[in-house]
Amino acid sequence: MDLLLGIGRFLLATMLLLLLTVPTAFVVIQMELKVIAQMQLRYGPNRIGPWGMFQSTIHGFKFLAKEDHMPDQADRATFTLAPWMVYMAAAMSMLVMPFAPGAIAADFNIGIVYFFAVIGLSVVGLLIAGWASYNKYSLLGGLRSAAQMVSYEIPLTLSVVGVVVLGGTLNFRELIGWQQAHGWMLLWQPVGLGIFYIASLAEINRTPFDMVEADSELVAGPFTEYSGMRFGFFFFAEYVALFIMSGIMAALFFGGWLAPWPFPAQLDGFGGTLYGLFWFFLKSYLFVFLAVWLRATLPRVRVDQLMGMAWKVLLPLAMLNLLVTAGVVVWLNL
Amino acid sequence: MTAEPTIRDPLEIERAEEARLRVAAGLAPLPRSGGEFAGFESVGLPDRPPQTDREQEVYTLDEGEMLVNMGPQHPSTHGVMRLVLKVRGEIVVDIDPVLGYLHRGIEKLCENATYTTVMTYVDPMDYLSAMHNEHAPAIAFEKLYGVKAPRRAEYIRALVVELNRVFSHGLMMGFLALDMGGLTPILYGFINRDEVVDLLSAISGQRMLFNFFRVGGVNFDANDEFFSRLGTWRAGVLKTIEMNERILTDNEIFRGRTIGMGVLSGKEAISLGVSGPNLRASGVPFDVRKAHPYSIYPELEFEVITQSGGDVYARYMQRVAELKQSIHLIDQIVDKMPHGPVQAQVPGIIRPKPGRAYAAVESPRGLYSVYAISDGGPNPYRFRMRDPSFISLQAIPKLMPGRLIADTMAVMASFDPVMGGVDK
Repeated sequence: MDLLLGIGRFLLATMLLLLLTVPTAFVVIQMELKVIAQMQLRYGPNRIGPWGMFQSTIHGFKFLAKEDHMPDQADRATFTLAPWMVYMAAAMSMLVMPFAPGAIAADFNIGIVYFFAVIGLSVVGLLIAGWASYNKYSLLGGLRSAAQMVSYEIPLTLSVVGVVVLGGTLNFRELIGWQQAHGWMLLWQPVGLGIFYIASLAEINRTPFDMVEADSELVAGPFTEYSGMRFGFFFFAEYVALFIMSGIMAALFFGGWLAPWPFPAQLDGFGGTLYGLFWFFLKSYLFVFLAVWLRATLPRVRVDQLMGMAWKVLLPLAMLNLLVTAGVVVWLNL
Repeated sequence: MTAEPTIRDPLEIERAEEARLRVAAGLAPLPRSGGEFAGFESVGLPDRPPQTDREQEVYTLDEGEMLVNMGPQHPSTHGVMRLVLKVRGEIVVDIDPVLGYLHRGIEKLCENATYTTVMTYVDPMDYLSAMHNEHAPAIAFEKLYGVKAPRRAEYIRALVVELNRVFSHGLMMGFLALDMGGLTPILYGFINRDEVVDLLSAISGQRMLFNFFRVGGVNFDANDEFFSRLGTWRAGVLKTIEMNERILTDNEIFRGRTIGMGVLSGKEAISLGVSGPNLRASGVPFDVRKAHPYSIYPELEFEVITQSGGDVYARYMQRVAELKQSIHLIDQIVDKMPHGPVQAQVPGIIRPKPGRAYAAVESPRGLYSVYAISDGGPNPYRFRMRDPSFISLQAIPKLMPGRLIADTMAVMASFDPVMGGVDK
């Protein structure tokens, strides 16, 4: 009976999360359209719905109406598979996302490990998309994505290891509990936060690290030959990943669903869940906003500078941060 | 039943013939597409044997090299330029620029137009500096016909030309950033352009292809309303430019990508014929407005600005400095603006005496000049234009080998080519 309940709960949760990815993507895309428009002194979309609210929704449905084109010499199987892989990598990592107390789809004891394992899968999708398209721009984009993500995953993960060592847990819920007791991780791991933020931007291909797409160099990187809903999946996955990375940053460093100081940190019962959801989404979308702001401001770094930064700056810094953190933890017997 | 006659591809016949001739002459047979990269066939090769040594050099691939066709439909090739990049991974080994996708035969059109109607044809050449395009033929035809524009006309000419330079350089800042992935500067550049274009349309009636210059004067006089609008514009013009500068000039990423990138020494620049801001960014103080003064420039006070770097960043800084210099020149022109007519007495159809005339102006992209020959008829017998961006493009294949694909875009944008002018 317990097993059946568990399976039922799992199915319900995954279904809800899959359904959640779509409006999330719409909201993030709408934010990008509107916020960048304001920063560039233009109106942005303002025709569909009040204040152009439904522009991104229409964008999404537009993909369904477009021709599904496949290059003649494309590898059919992998070409079809790639968008799914990228999308599923993003959607699956939402499974451990700590939205609010009582609103975690799967409360694993190794949630952090699971998260970084799954989010890294998207690189495989991008690589095979680049390979299967039979296009040189796609291939270059795919290779770039492989190189970039493999390089940045190491400092990304190392910066999180510092958090894990300090919090003594791989479970998101317990980590947030630790932050409630000891103060947000941001105070304990400022260097880790910096490394995490830079590496996470690279991990999800956001400006200034959007090497993979690089519209002025590689046309659209691995997505060049994709059209219709296949492209839509890449597009959605990218924006969902942006939200997820923002959410994970909120959970790891900014106390997740905990409210900041003048407010009560947590409430009980169903109201507490809503209260947690509010703060979690507020923090997450704040970081989404930050990423959009960066996109409006910064030019792109070059591919060799990107690699140089990962291996020569971030990796040693992350190592040092981990070493110091571990030393302090052992020394103070935390 | 007779066998169907086989139809041979004429290209194939040509190729076979060429191979036969080469063998007969004792030459080695031509290599066909050489390399293969990661399972890709070398598509993009011309469908014929190489015609020149240079072509053979570019289109012969070594192991691990491939050709990437950048353009004519690439997001950042400034119109319809096509660069065939020979790359090894992401490193550019060689570049073959392919031009002519926007060729409209403007020189020939001008030779079939009367002297007065030539002005309408030269506008769409370098569409970001249409005023300069009209300035050079106007001077050349005035020399041919022996007429002088009134002083007020010369001042208005200088005014609109400097206004044009302001928006052209402002846009260059944006295009350079856009080609390096910065989305915003181009929008600010276009705000700046829109303000200038409003002024130019107030005086000429057109927003892009102004058709404003006439042989012996200009089309319309500038009235008081125009000058009051100019004053309003002058008060706020630096706003968008400074916003762009704040985004780019001290930006660590921008500096990291542009300083030391695509260095063109002064000597190389001169030997390639590069002119204008691109030449001055390499430290050569050559400005047509000073070196071969025309119009009213001798009466204005300004220094030739140069940079020392010769790299992408220097070319960017050169544009910013010249933009501010142009605004300074506009101030002077408005202060000194004389009264009087704006058009000399010129008949509707001009028939200059047989002869030839040359006129050069400093366009935002460099030395733009016109050489016109008259045979006494109503049309120029020969009308030749030297477009500066066509000549600047020669530098790109020299600068790129050993750099990355991403830098191709940055270096190309730093030369600020306009394909309408390149292809004429």
